[in-house]
This record gives sequence, C-alpha cells and structure tokens, in this order.
Amino acid sequence: MKNSNPKIILTLFSILIGVLIATQMRMKVESIAPVTLKSIQDIKVEINSTNNEIIELEKLIKQREDELAIIENISMGDQNIVDILKEDIKLNKVISGRSPLEGPGIRITMFDNMNSEIVGFDIEDALIHDVDILNIINDLKIAGAEAISINNQRVVSTSEIKCGGPVIRINGRSIGTPFVIKAIGDPKVLMASVNAPGTYGDTLKSVYLMGFEPEIQDKVTIPAYSGSYSYTYAKPVGEGD
Amino acid sequence: MFFALIGILIGAIIGFLLPYTYNTAYSLYISVAILACLDSVFGGIRANLENNFSITIFLSGFFGNAILAAFLAYIGDRLGVPLYYAAIFTFGGRLFDNFGAIRRIWLRKRKSIQ
Repeated sequence: MKNSNPKIILTLFSILIGVLIATQMRMKVESIAPVTLKSIQDIKVEINSTNNEIIELEKLIKQREDELAIIENISMGDQNIVDILKEDIKLNKVISGRSPLEGPGIRITMFDNMNSEIVGFDIEDALIHDVDILNIINDLKIAGAEAISINNQRVVSTSEIKCGGPVIRINGRSIGTPFVIKAIGDPKVLMASVNAPGTYGDTLKSVYLMGFEPEIQDKVTIPAYSGSYSYTYAKPVGEGD
Repeated sequence: MFFALIGILIGAIIGFLLPYTYNTAYSLYISVAILACLDSVFGGIRANLENNFSITIFLSGFFGNAILAAFLAYIGDRLGVPLYYAAIFTFGGRLFDNFGAIRRIWLRKRKSIQ
C-alpha cells in the first residue's frame, strides 16, 4: 500500500491538472498576448493624449459657455456692453473735443490798442495778430490748459490760427475782435502764464498797450468742436487696439 | 509516468464535461498555475521513481508553486512588468529537467530488466 500510495496521489493530482487544462481550453481564450513594456507604454501615451484632448475640449466648452452667457446677458437686456460702449464714447468725445466741457479756468479778452497814441511807427503794431493769439494759446497749453476756445471755437489738434486781414481764421471760421480766449485748467497757473511780468501777455498789455484782460473764473464753459475731422493721407498703423 | 498521463486524460474528459467556468480575466494566472502544477507532478513522478517521494513535499510544492506562480503573474500585471515570465522559465525549465531525469531512470530500468 505504501508503495502504491504516491501513484494514486499523483494520479489524483494529474486529474486535477487535467480538469484545469480542459477548463482553460474550454474558455476559448483568444490568444493571451503577453503584455510587453512597449505596448504598455504605447497605450499609456495614447491614453494620455486622449485625456489631454478631453481636457482641451472641456476648456473649449467652458470658453464657449462663457461667451454664450455674455451674449445671453446682452439679449436679456442687461445693458453691460452698451454701458461700456457709452462710457467709451464719452471718453473719446472728450479727447477729440466733441463734447462741451466746463470747469475752473480763465477767460482772456483781447482787443486792439484803442488808444489814440500808437506805439512804434506802424499801425500794425496796434493790432492783435494771429501770432499773438498763437503765443497766448501756447502759453496756456504750457501752463496745463485742458481745453481752450477762441470766440467759442474749440481749439483742437487740427485747429489752425491764420491771419485773415482784419480778422483771424480758426477752424475755418473768421472771427474778429474782441477775441475771447477761454481755458480750463488750474486758474492760478493759467493766470500766471499770461499775466506774470515778462510773459507774452504781459508784454502785449504793458508794452504794446493792447487790450488784454485776463480774469479767473470758477466756471468756464468751452463749447464742442463742430467741424469735421478728415484724414486723407494719414492711415492708422497696425490694428489699433 | 503512465498513470500521470492517464490521470490528465481522465481529468481533461471530466473538465470538458463539467459546466463550470471562471472569469476570463484569471485565465493567465490559471495557465501559469497549471504550469507550476505540472512541474510538481513531474517532480512527484521523479521522486517516486527515485523512491524518495514525500507526500508533504509534494502537496506543499503543488499548491505553493501554483499560488506563487499565479501571484507573480498578478503582481506583474499590477506593476506593468511581465513577472510571470519568471514562473514560465523556472517551471518550464524544471519541467524538462524532471522529464530528463524520469527518462533516464526509466531507460536505465528497462536496460537492467533486459
């Protein structure tokens, strides 16, 4: 019995192995391909790239949803964009001189020498010239004037000041004496820039005896520029903003 | 030698007749385990022929090797390293070693009988 014992045990376990093998075969497992490191790596890379793609798409979805929300807000009557654009227009109007402005400043009235005695030899010396106006305006600008008008003609970046015989021309309009120059800015500084001894204004007044009457005003109203801007030669460079 | 083959054949017939199956996911582990079991049985046959068969060594080897092989395959799957190669090479190599030993003993026996 002791001799046959191993044989019986071996037979029994062989039967067990046979059962396992048969079951395995019956499973009809389609080739269990050994998983190589390379294939694992490849699949990992593929999964990663797909995941990245998903993340990108989710970002895109979120972006589009945000855009949609903005558009919906606008259509719901929330005046967001309109308000922003209105603010923008206001600012741009101020910059381009399209809106009337008011604020503290000075008002200068200039007129020709009314005295019977003439300084110098030429009658011309007793008249207010375009150059005088230009110099005064320049002084005001140096003193930090934010808006200037001459006889209610707004001085903008394209405003010309040109001699037109007895009158001067500004913004294409003829204006005559008395010239009223209004400027908004720090009144004291503006005043000093035209009234302090040695300034052009002071020279006009005390040397050439012109009518030159600057006065500080708490509220100066400067009208809007009514002309048109036309750019024929100048082209904006690049995309702008 | 022959009783083992007969046993495997009987087992195969039973296996084909039995309706039980297991999850396909375990098939790799089972196949590695089968290899380990086969090695144990061959080892048992060899020991039997050499007359130093021990039932405890055989049983511990049979189940221990099978479980270890399946475990190696499982760990390899989890780590992404095909560790079951270790089981395949070891048990495959030992299978042929054992078979070679059995063959030699058997042939020597036949020679001595003649």
